[in-house]
Amino acid sequence: MAIVAGVDIGNSTTEVCLARVNARGEKEYLSSSIVKTTGIKGTTANLPGIRTALDDALRRAGVDMNELIQIRFNEATPVIGDLAMETITETIITESTMIGHNPGTPGGIGLGVGKTVTFAELDRMQSGDKVIVVIPARIDFEDASQAINWAFDRGVDVVGAIACQDDAVLIANRLDKRIPIVDEVTFIEKVPIGMLAAVEVTEPGRTIQTLSNPYGIATVFNLTPEETKMVVPIARALIGNRSAVVVRTPQGDVKARTIPAGVLTIFGQRNREEVDVESGSSKIMQAVERVQPVVDVKGEPGTNAGGMIERVRQVMSDLTGQSLERMNIQDLLSVDTFIPQQVRGGLAGEFALENAVALAAMVKTSRLPMQQIADQLTSQLGIPVVIAGVEANMAVLGALTTPGTDKPLAILDMGGGSTDAAIVTRDEKVHSIHLAGAGDMVTMLINSELGLNDLDLAEDIKKFPLAKVESLYHVRLEDGTVRFYEEHLPPQVFARVVILKESGMVPIPSEHSLEKIRHVRREAKKKVFVTNALRALARVAPTGNVRHIEFVVMVGGSALDFEVADMVADALAEYGIVCGRGNIRGTEGPRNAVATGLVLSYSGGGA
Amino acid sequence: MQLNEQILKEIVMQVLQGMEMPEAAPAKKAVSGRPMTIVEKGEARPGTKSDEVIISLAPAFAKYQNKTIVNIPHSDVLRELIAGIEEEGIRARVIRVTRSSDVAFVAHDATKLSGSGIAIGIQSRGTTVIHQKDLPPLSNLELFPQSPLLELETYRAIGRNAARYAKGESPTPVPTKNDQMARPKFQAKAAVLHIKETEHVVPGSKPVELEVQF
Repeated sequence: MAIVAGVDIGNSTTEVCLARVNARGEKEYLSSSIVKTTGIKGTTANLPGIRTALDDALRRAGVDMNELIQIRFNEATPVIGDLAMETITETIITESTMIGHNPGTPGGIGLGVGKTVTFAELDRMQSGDKVIVVIPARIDFEDASQAINWAFDRGVDVVGAIACQDDAVLIANRLDKRIPIVDEVTFIEKVPIGMLAAVEVTEPGRTIQTLSNPYGIATVFNLTPEETKMVVPIARALIGNRSAVVVRTPQGDVKARTIPAGVLTIFGQRNREEVDVESGSSKIMQAVERVQPVVDVKGEPGTNAGGMIERVRQVMSDLTGQSLERMNIQDLLSVDTFIPQQVRGGLAGEFALENAVALAAMVKTSRLPMQQIADQLTSQLGIPVVIAGVEANMAVLGALTTPGTDKPLAILDMGGGSTDAAIVTRDEKVHSIHLAGAGDMVTMLINSELGLNDLDLAEDIKKFPLAKVESLYHVRLEDGTVRFYEEHLPPQVFARVVILKESGMVPIPSEHSLEKIRHVRREAKKKVFVTNALRALARVAPTGNVRHIEFVVMVGGSALDFEVADMVADALAEYGIVCGRGNIRGTEGPRNAVATGLVLSYSGGGA
Repeated sequence: MQLNEQILKEIVMQVLQGMEMPEAAPAKKAVSGRPMTIVEKGEARPGTKSDEVIISLAPAFAKYQNKTIVNIPHSDVLRELIAGIEEEGIRARVIRVTRSSDVAFVAHDATKLSGSGIAIGIQSRGTTVIHQKDLPPLSNLELFPQSPLLELETYRAIGRNAARYAKGESPTPVPTKNDQMARPKFQAKAAVLHIKETEHVVPGSKPVELEVQF
């Protein structure tokens, strides 16, 4: 009787599988364990983690360390991924022609068209003048409303107001007539004075109709057909707002500009493709598919694309301690995304959702120094350590222990840095590939699209479901059901959207609604995981056709995610594939595939 | 800063001066707040409308004292709180709690009468809290303990946030300043003001509905 241990060192976790092997080579599984990997995968810093995982598994099995006759490592695949993002559009407002920051509480209702006048000038206006009054900071709401009421009494036609402080409702409540008021305009002194302008405010829950329509603006300002063409970007920028101001200035404009981001050159084995980053991610991905297999990617020097690719290379070269020239990018996943950015020339700190391209790149490095780890562990424990086989083969072996599977079988290993796939055919041949883009990219997309600037928070949003705390005794979960609590919840989560972690609720410090956050989270997962699952399977499929794979087993960290496995299974269902989360040895779920495979590959003796 | 007896006496004298002649010195910015009348309307009843937020005044607020620890007139403070609530489209109701001078209880008693379950409690020296009816009295939604650092803009923002809680929104907590010197500098004055407030506590008394006019 011999006891062997399979040890799988992954990017984030180290897993152990312990089994007793009898003389006929039959295996009886004793226990398994999982701990966080210490240090970067493939370095001797992993040793403490390996020791903890081993001790853990041995204790559970009630076996002593010196009963082990062999420890088996996998030949870890030396792939590392990194991420980059580049904004490719920007919005610029010239001559302060537009205010579209959509304040929470504008005042009054309606559309007013008139000449802009300062608050101080209001006294000098004549009867019959159509004016929009611009109220600077430090004017009390009562003084402001009184002055406007006096102007009404003198016959001045005040048709709207623009205020600096958050006073719109307060002023509107004190006026004799109902006029639209837009407030919280931070740079009020920049509003052009003496110009024709329009202020529009609608009821709560509705969006403006006139100023978001180019013909609406044309009607208001009597524009020629040529001029109407010019206002299209203004109208577009105001769609969805509850309030807006448009000022007619000689040269005023809103520009949605494309930032030249540079050219990516993708080198294949036979040919190469050049693609503009600003043409968007679908064009980039088409280029990547055309040159398969990718041998390297370069960015145009001196452009953002060049900088982005160089940064990725630099990071990975630092991480692996290998020279920069040997960092060849083997795969690229690009995804369209949005970044909320402050609009240049805005009067009220307006934000616009700018288009951006997110890139994940994967680099294959030379062999990781696994032998060093093995040697050190042998000298520490006095137990022979064997490097037993390639990670993908071991994972396939392990995955086959899932009840109900058969060859040909493909595995999808969705981790943090890369998406790996392997297939085993009926004649035991294993073929594997590694693609860029996985969990870390989803985190980056969530972080940027929600404007969080907090990767840890984005990671939590990715991993756990959401809820809205509606009172201190109940929350509404993201599927609409309600959960009640006996004890009151902590006050800091009151009225907030929270992440339901095992350790408790974490409030999300942003104004985004639950629906918005959920949508961003699910879209990010679809963009990365579903895309990559299809890409990976198409590449490993014997004929290049996904339909020819019968069984797909999902393993690895992201398969544990509460919705990714369902999304991928859903997407693959239309190809007639049996796809699901792995259940290694019928007990372990999607975990422990490689460690189990390592034990299975043990055939007695030395190797 | 050394707080010797001399300085302490001076501070106490200053405070007492300020309190004995509340209407005096109209030229001084301190008490030149907007005129305000408060009429007591009997015992405050629980509200039924969910679009109201209660502002709950401590026993001496705008009655026996008329300005905060940094001489902001009580009428202006109350006006800004009400304005902040009104701007969000919510109604403000004002009551006075006299059974305690502790800002937590002043506020928490009011939350139980507030239709929305949200109330703001404020002491004469300016200390403010936003409270919710399901919380224990000594907990809170937002607490503003450093009264010397609260300005009129802060009170407007407090009113606004309380209203937004009542609407079920998730407002960003009101940003406040922090000054570690505020405590030693104002400790004596704060203590005196609190004692002066507590003098007007009537144990077991019911909260009183107030009508405020500017």
